[in-house]
Amino acid sequence: MNADPRKIQVFEPHRASLPKLKPYLNEFWRRREFATELSRFTDKAEYLDSKLGKVWLVLNPLFLAVIYFLLVSVIRGGTSQTDGFVTLAHILIGLFTFYFAQNTILLGAQSITSGGRLILNQAFPRSLLPLSSALSAARQFIPTIPVYIAVVLIGKLLFPDAALPGLTWNYLYLPLLLLPLAFTSFGLALLFATMNVYFRDTSKLLSYITRIWLYASPVLWLPDMVNGWHRIILYLNPLGPVLSANSRIWIDGLAPTAAQLIACAIWSLLALLTGGYFFISRERDFAVRI
Amino acid sequence: MRSESKVTPVLPSNLAIRIEDLSIRYKINIESKKTLKNALMRASKGQRVRTRTVEAVNHLSLDIPHGSVVGIVGANGAGKSTLMRSIAGILPPSEGRITVDGKISTLLALGVGFNPALSGRDNIILGGLAAGMSRAEIESKTDEIAQFADLPDGFIDMPVRTYSSGMYGRVAFSVAVNMTPDILLLDEALSAGDAAFKEKSFNRMRELCAQARTILIVSHALASINELCDVAIWLHKGKLVANGKPQEITEQYLKFLDVGALPSSYEDL
Repeated sequence: MNADPRKIQVFEPHRASLPKLKPYLNEFWRRREFATELSRFTDKAEYLDSKLGKVWLVLNPLFLAVIYFLLVSVIRGGTSQTDGFVTLAHILIGLFTFYFAQNTILLGAQSITSGGRLILNQAFPRSLLPLSSALSAARQFIPTIPVYIAVVLIGKLLFPDAALPGLTWNYLYLPLLLLPLAFTSFGLALLFATMNVYFRDTSKLLSYITRIWLYASPVLWLPDMVNGWHRIILYLNPLGPVLSANSRIWIDGLAPTAAQLIACAIWSLLALLTGGYFFISRERDFAVRI
Repeated sequence: MRSESKVTPVLPSNLAIRIEDLSIRYKINIESKKTLKNALMRASKGQRVRTRTVEAVNHLSLDIPHGSVVGIVGANGAGKSTLMRSIAGILPPSEGRITVDGKISTLLALGVGFNPALSGRDNIILGGLAAGMSRAEIESKTDEIAQFADLPDGFIDMPVRTYSSGMYGRVAFSVAVNMTPDILLLDEALSAGDAAFKEKSFNRMRELCAQARTILIVSHALASINELCDVAIWLHKGKLVANGKPQEITEQYLKFLDVGALPSSYEDL
């Protein structure tokens, strides 16, 4: 009955930090369907009894965006209605995008500690659990885009003078931005998921960190509001370049700058490599520490 | 998850599992909760975390041929579950090596992590995917698994939270035995269901053995070990105390439970 060739597996002490990456990544890719289905089923279980639950996922950032917009308008003093509408559109798309990153990181950070029984009883690349959380976050993010477009179209009817771009080819850059956004968020999710196994209050701390992070990101304020050397704040923030480029495309209708694209690539590589290294080199200990 | 040595060790073709000088140790934190706050507090006071090292498995060597049914007995804390998890590749060895030939299916202690809000059918699909099957593979088997679990009418499409513990166990067992594993690891899984289901599950395990598949069973149900297994091992505090015919091993183990006596040759363990 032995499969031919025999499927021999060897388990030995791991002195080296990383396992062999090729078999690991092959296994990760082979089992990707587990991550997609786990995400789908987890969402299904969450919103099984609540049709409004799914709608709330969109309404929540929408309402928050309106609240933030009102706060920003009060702080900045009176602006014209058309300028106000542009600000609202910027906050809306920034918040929706930031929420995707935040959900990926927060859900991913808890995915290992909350996956206790799965981790204790099945052998699989553990990074599939944060991946599943990232897919759930993406499933929440995608419906917010048509909502944004709807808001902008309605706004255009109400405020025909609003300086928002019509259809432009530069929108084609958006899918390109999704990659660094997803990679940076997933890399950070891997990092914090590992930390959360060792320090169980990491996820609690993260809820504060992400709040401060939101204020430090060009979401409630426009990237153009910072000038000179202060602009470095946009690049020191892992999500700064991607959020700035995002706003530049959606709100200004312009292509991202080369500096933004390079910074996006650097941050996504850095996050993915650092998070991936910490996670994969330690994931064999997770079953012991859960 | 899996580490592969540079030169794949030779596993004789008759063996399904070879365990060589296996030790598994882990540290448990005996003080405060593992939080960043506590770690910083300790660091500021220059204190170190007090840990205790647990020797769950201690220099264990064992060869398990294809097609055998091995019963593992031992008191609580003997290292049975740790051994099963290390064979499944879940817990890494601290020393030694485990070489396994074939696809492993597990039904280990603490359950399978079913999502109680989802139906039995959804959980079967998730269980199969977690075990490494593709969506198409597990979907083609779902009806067979549901049929094997033999739940009352309509229950398979109801949320698992509405199941009795027996029904829950039956579904979990059905998933594990229907994965067509080469090696099946069952930890405290024989008590699922009633007498009729027990008979059915025993028959299913005998079928698997007839196909030269290997089964390891951890159980406190010694009569079941005697009935099903062709070899039994007795673990005590991580060490192999005895290895042989199930009747003899379970008898020795029962005697130990009655009078607390290990076989004379192992008293120095």
